[in-house]
Amino acid sequence: MKNKKILKAEENGAEKISAKETLKNALDIFDFSSGIAVNIENLDLYYGNFQALKQINMLIKPNEITAMIGPSGCGKSTLLKTLNRMNDLIDGCRIEGKVEIGGKDIYAKDIDLSALRKNVGMVFQKPNPFPMSVYDNVAFAPRTFGVRKKAELDEIVETSLRRASIWDELKDRLNRNALGLSGGQQQRLCIARSLAAEPKILLMDEPTSALDPISTGKIEDLMNELKTDYTIVIVTHNMQQATRIADKTAFFYLGELVEYADTQTLFTTPADKRTENYITGRFG
Amino acid sequence: MQNINDTAAAPKNSRAAKTKAKEIFARIIFLICALFSIVAVLGIIGYICYGSIPALREVGVFKFLFGTTWSPDYGHYGILPMIVNSIIVTVGAVVLGGTVGVFTAVFLSYWCPSKFNIKYNGKSAFIRWWVNRINKINLSTVFDQVIKLLAGIPSIIYGLFGLEILVPILADLNSANIGQGILACSILLAVMIVPTVASLAKNAIDAVPQSYYEGALALGNTKAQAVFRAVVPAARSGIMSALILGVGRAMGEAMAVIWVCGNRALFPDGLFSYIRTLTTNIVMEMGYATGIHRSALIATGLVLLIFILLIILSMNLVPKDFKGKRGEKKLSPDKEAEITYKRKGIGSAVLKWAAGVCAFLVAAVLITVVAYIVIKGISGFSWDFFAGDARISVPTFLPAFYATLELIGISLAIALPLGICAAVYLHEYAKQDSKLVKVIRTFIDTLSGIPSIVFGLFGSLLFAPLFGNRCVLAGALTMVLVVLPTVIRSTEESLHAVPMTLREASYGLGASKVRTIFKVVLPSAFPGIATAAILSIGRILGESAALVFTMGTTFVFTGNPANTGSSLTVLLYICANEGFHMEEAYMLALTLLVFSLLLNLIVYFIEKRVKKSHSI
Repeated sequence: MKNKKILKAEENGAEKISAKETLKNALDIFDFSSGIAVNIENLDLYYGNFQALKQINMLIKPNEITAMIGPSGCGKSTLLKTLNRMNDLIDGCRIEGKVEIGGKDIYAKDIDLSALRKNVGMVFQKPNPFPMSVYDNVAFAPRTFGVRKKAELDEIVETSLRRASIWDELKDRLNRNALGLSGGQQQRLCIARSLAAEPKILLMDEPTSALDPISTGKIEDLMNELKTDYTIVIVTHNMQQATRIADKTAFFYLGELVEYADTQTLFTTPADKRTENYITGRFG
Repeated sequence: MQNINDTAAAPKNSRAAKTKAKEIFARIIFLICALFSIVAVLGIIGYICYGSIPALREVGVFKFLFGTTWSPDYGHYGILPMIVNSIIVTVGAVVLGGTVGVFTAVFLSYWCPSKFNIKYNGKSAFIRWWVNRINKINLSTVFDQVIKLLAGIPSIIYGLFGLEILVPILADLNSANIGQGILACSILLAVMIVPTVASLAKNAIDAVPQSYYEGALALGNTKAQAVFRAVVPAARSGIMSALILGVGRAMGEAMAVIWVCGNRALFPDGLFSYIRTLTTNIVMEMGYATGIHRSALIATGLVLLIFILLIILSMNLVPKDFKGKRGEKKLSPDKEAEITYKRKGIGSAVLKWAAGVCAFLVAAVLITVVAYIVIKGISGFSWDFFAGDARISVPTFLPAFYATLELIGISLAIALPLGICAAVYLHEYAKQDSKLVKVIRTFIDTLSGIPSIVFGLFGSLLFAPLFGNRCVLAGALTMVLVVLPTVIRSTEESLHAVPMTLREASYGLGASKVRTIFKVVLPSAFPGIATAAILSIGRILGESAALVFTMGTTFVFTGNPANTGSSLTVLLYICANEGFHMEEAYMLALTLLVFSLLLNLIVYFIEKRVKKSHSI
């Protein structure tokens, strides 16, 4: 009897894994083999009557870190949010133009929002862990997409926390409430939580602005490690941070993309006067 | 259209379609729950109208409303005396209770010291420790809690207080030696509405910008002048709403006045003469009435309901302070303060003392009520009552306790899911300024304003026949309607307190809306939902008017929710109503008091914990 049961369980297990695999494939809706991760063409974005983004054109390559800089209200965070359609949550937000990820128009009618956001993860300005245990935080996305088996979840939680370089600090307190962690730990936990969804692109909206210098350093190191597996787009107010970590930098001003170039070039020989004024601290 | 990978398309679409179907299904369920309040209110109005038709047709609307004789045995159904009595008593209660309540609120906001300031220079470490502890107590929190407790005391206990203390005192005041009547009812109802009026008025006063007060002080006003000439006028529409709510409560109250009105359906001839109000008319006779008589009582309920609906309607007409443009017009208190500067301010000083006296009065009444119940309850204590077997002719605690537990369990099992889903729709789905939401909210407000005796009538018309007799189930279904507004409101408040960033985080991880609500939003709102449940338990524990005709009044209870039984509060009513079981009545009153104190404490600690965790 027992053996039969075990056999049956194993059979089910095998079926489930295959089910999980198909699910994974099903969610894998983007194809980056063409060497383009994000392609934005003639993008206009309005909040009611206010135009927040004007005619944005931008190409982002896979496995690069792209930094978006500019004074407050220049539209950089807004642009970041169009990439995983978090702008949908805002009333009166309207978009014209094209945003393609992996060759796929993400504003097309048949797009699966869940799949999009699974593939395009996001880390927010202020750490926002759920008021539940560390484990449940990281397991949230896998559970959303149907992973139920304890062993599989354990594995995902561990790898995600390791990738976010926080496993050693947290491995003994996986069942503690995440709200008890320090700000820096919370933010790395949020990164781990995003990684657990196995995204292709990671959007980071000023991820270190609410943190102390040591935590900031840790997260910057982390981004450099993550670069090999992910495409990272980061919004930052800190120009030093952009020079330290970004391959490419985009400067935004009043809803326009003023300049977009290799970080080195942009900061040493900016082509536009406005960029120069901004990076030399003359405004913003 | 742009499927690159056709093999992946099929499973993806089925998964997405499944999620989408789930979303739509959930949305519809939430919407239905939100619409339920509308159905409930319209159902109640409809059923009461329908039940009134035979009497109104037989007697005639005019004769019913303006007839002066109520004598069912002879076919006379005129309710004018009761309408007049209800209005007089309500006006009296609001004049007395409203004044005291508003002054108490002013006192609590501006003169109540925030802490004790006891000085002790002696050597005893023990006494010093206690003095320190007492000095640390935050007095305004204490007063807030006391007001909440007062508001939570079951109306039947106030009735007991009126019957046993108020009536004898008033009887000594007049030659006819009659204690019952207009004055007794007005005073008792005034005591009952003070907590409601005081806490709402305090909210309104606290919402007045500090700059008004400071502006008046800076112009040389005394504190009393600043408060009564700048702050209170600025809070007037909030105070107005508080008073209107008080009117509604006073008019709809049934059980508290039943023992102090005297129950004679005639016009009053002075402050001390037996009277009968609309509500007591229903309670007194509904138990045995049949045919046209029964229909006439339902029509009495209809008249009461119309009054209450008018009161609720007038509430919506009061402009809101500091929100709309009308509030902004009052932005210059300076001018007003300037005028008062010329006067000497004696008027305000008198008002200041009035505020102190009122607050003291409220405290004194509370202490009297509680002390009286505690002393009587303890002195009459008997194990036979609390642990004794159920008997048909002798009231015992346990059957009523079990019946109450079942009542609470069944009511909450229905009201909580219903209310939570409605709140989710209102807060998470609906656009906040949409017409539908406004309509739903108006109906929820209306539902919460309907007097419990009307709920009782409705339940006895619809639910009791549904199960063939008065029973716990019928009572529970009635209570669902009573507590639903509370559940919806507190849940909505707690949903509002859940930070938007948590929802964003969940969506950012690809979770659907339904998953976000059930896995992230509702768990985070749990303390608020627990508070909603506890407030509902308090309401159910204290309810009597809605249960007498739906659940029943027997001393025994089989344990089957389809059988009749009485809740603790109803049992208290029965015990004291017949006068044979006053000791039992006091023991029950004490028990209910302890329960409501405990529930208040639980809510207090939950709220304290939530505040703490949010501040991190």
